[in-house]
Amino acid sequence: MENNKKWFSLNLNNKNRSTDQSCQCGSGHGGCHDKKNTAQKDDTIAAQQDIGKSNDIRKDGFDQVFDVKMSRRSAFKKLTASLLIGAGAVNTSCNVLADDDSKEKSQIDWEEQFKGNYKLMDDDEKKATVDRLVRSYQLRTGKTINMTSENAADDVLFGYAFNISKCQGYMDCVNACVEENNQDRTSQMQYIRIHEMEDGKGFNFNESDDNYYHEVPAKGHFYMGTQCFHCDNPPCVDVCPVQATWREDDGLVVIDYDWCVGCRYCMAACPYDGRRFNWSKPEVPENEINKNQHYLGNRLRKKGVMEKCTFCVQRSRKGKNPACVEACPTGARIFGNLLDPNSTIRWVLENKKVFRLKEDLGTEPKFWYFMD
Amino acid sequence: MNKQMNLNIGILVILIFCGFSCKHHEEDYHSIIDKIENDSKNYHGVSVSSETFIGDLKTLEVTENGITFLIPDRKSEIISYACTECHTSPLKNMNDKNFKKAHWDIEINHANTTVMNCVTCHNGDNMDVLQSLTGVQIDFNASHQLCSQCHQKQYNDWTGGAHGKIIESWATPRASMTCVNCHNPHDPSFKSKWPARYNTQKIDERK
Repeated sequence: MENNKKWFSLNLNNKNRSTDQSCQCGSGHGGCHDKKNTAQKDDTIAAQQDIGKSNDIRKDGFDQVFDVKMSRRSAFKKLTASLLIGAGAVNTSCNVLADDDSKEKSQIDWEEQFKGNYKLMDDDEKKATVDRLVRSYQLRTGKTINMTSENAADDVLFGYAFNISKCQGYMDCVNACVEENNQDRTSQMQYIRIHEMEDGKGFNFNESDDNYYHEVPAKGHFYMGTQCFHCDNPPCVDVCPVQATWREDDGLVVIDYDWCVGCRYCMAACPYDGRRFNWSKPEVPENEINKNQHYLGNRLRKKGVMEKCTFCVQRSRKGKNPACVEACPTGARIFGNLLDPNSTIRWVLENKKVFRLKEDLGTEPKFWYFMD
Repeated sequence: MNKQMNLNIGILVILIFCGFSCKHHEEDYHSIIDKIENDSKNYHGVSVSSETFIGDLKTLEVTENGITFLIPDRKSEIISYACTECHTSPLKNMNDKNFKKAHWDIEINHANTTVMNCVTCHNGDNMDVLQSLTGVQIDFNASHQLCSQCHQKQYNDWTGGAHGKIIESWATPRASMTCVNCHNPHDPSFKSKWPARYNTQKIDERK
């Protein structure tokens, strides 16, 4: 029997149970398929087509998770995880003693658990999940945040240039980045690193110091900042087993923190050490939280997911410069639209001697270095 | 004969497969620069504008090296402008013990005295304007022209956007800081200071 049944059904109390040869084991061969039983096949297909009619609508949430062919093992895994949440939700919503807020909260938790990958959502679904997250934050803390799900605009491709003759190593960019992007304060995990390099030794990252504390600029040294380079051919995206990270149309490489499983393949694949992992639950003091957030950007993360520089997607898609660019007192950081022939970033690419790190890898980073 | 046929078919299949598999990219470009150049041929502009972010900042339009952009208004930023409110007569008449001392806090740390003194930039006869090396009057709002007399390289980079800072937004219209927004003209170099941050956690982790 062909594997044209693409959804998962438990098939309990079904008359066709013995005749339906699709066992949902996910394997296309072996003992699960009885090819001789053709008589009843037609009946099954007809039945499936009937179900198919009602299944014509777009898959979302629950359907997106369960309406796929999967092995018994992964089905049980998903069920167990979901049942824990479901049990909580059912418990609260059926409890006459529970108040409306906690019922709403468990409803939100339920819907968030079964939502799809952000990459596959349409605009309404994106808005729905953003609204849920805002409401959930409101229910938990009583504070209101402003979260958007702005898409990439046409005719925009973001690019960045870094002037290594201008950077003085002040690290104002690092502070601005931490505050803007709600990074964990305790682990001191940061997207930007400023490497202090000795003159005359080239770009020697092994011997450079990225955690200096002395008066800067130090004599005989220069400074070079690294962060996510938003490669046009990003190796981190290729290795993600769940497609939780991807390249947006405006060139930003982003992560769906709710879809990430925390395997850290991307961290290993990145040749530039651009990705960061949340080893512990990120903590930001309530009064320091930046409440202007984007789903793919600086919204609060959880333990066990990847994160990285997004060129401040919550700012750049609105037209603002990233926080690091704004904070730099020396003008070493230049940001702009690569597709605008009159932009300053294009002028830099066309008039300065620019280079990128590890160009031979073919990753095509959109982050250029130059000197005066 | 049959073997030969099989081989031929095999080669054909491989060729077809290669033909398909080598075409991951729809665009025909070799590098990101080629792609940028190709994609920007039909650039239509973007919907966002920098104007919302520049806000109340008073700006004026300048065209330098054929590039037009905005710079912040300078004269409205100088607290004691117009200078003639105090400098009622030419400087040489006021250089007298009877007059009140002013600008005692200004120390020139810009080139050496062989090259520069006050009147290299200021006009002793009309304190409301600056003057070029040849004595031509330069408005306080166009002070970048004064700087460009010596700092041509920085000036060229600034007009293109490689030197200096863009104000708030990458979108158009472009507004750039002018020289004196970052550099004190009397003491233009950047000073050394302590970094804004020190990661003690990182020290512990790397022990």
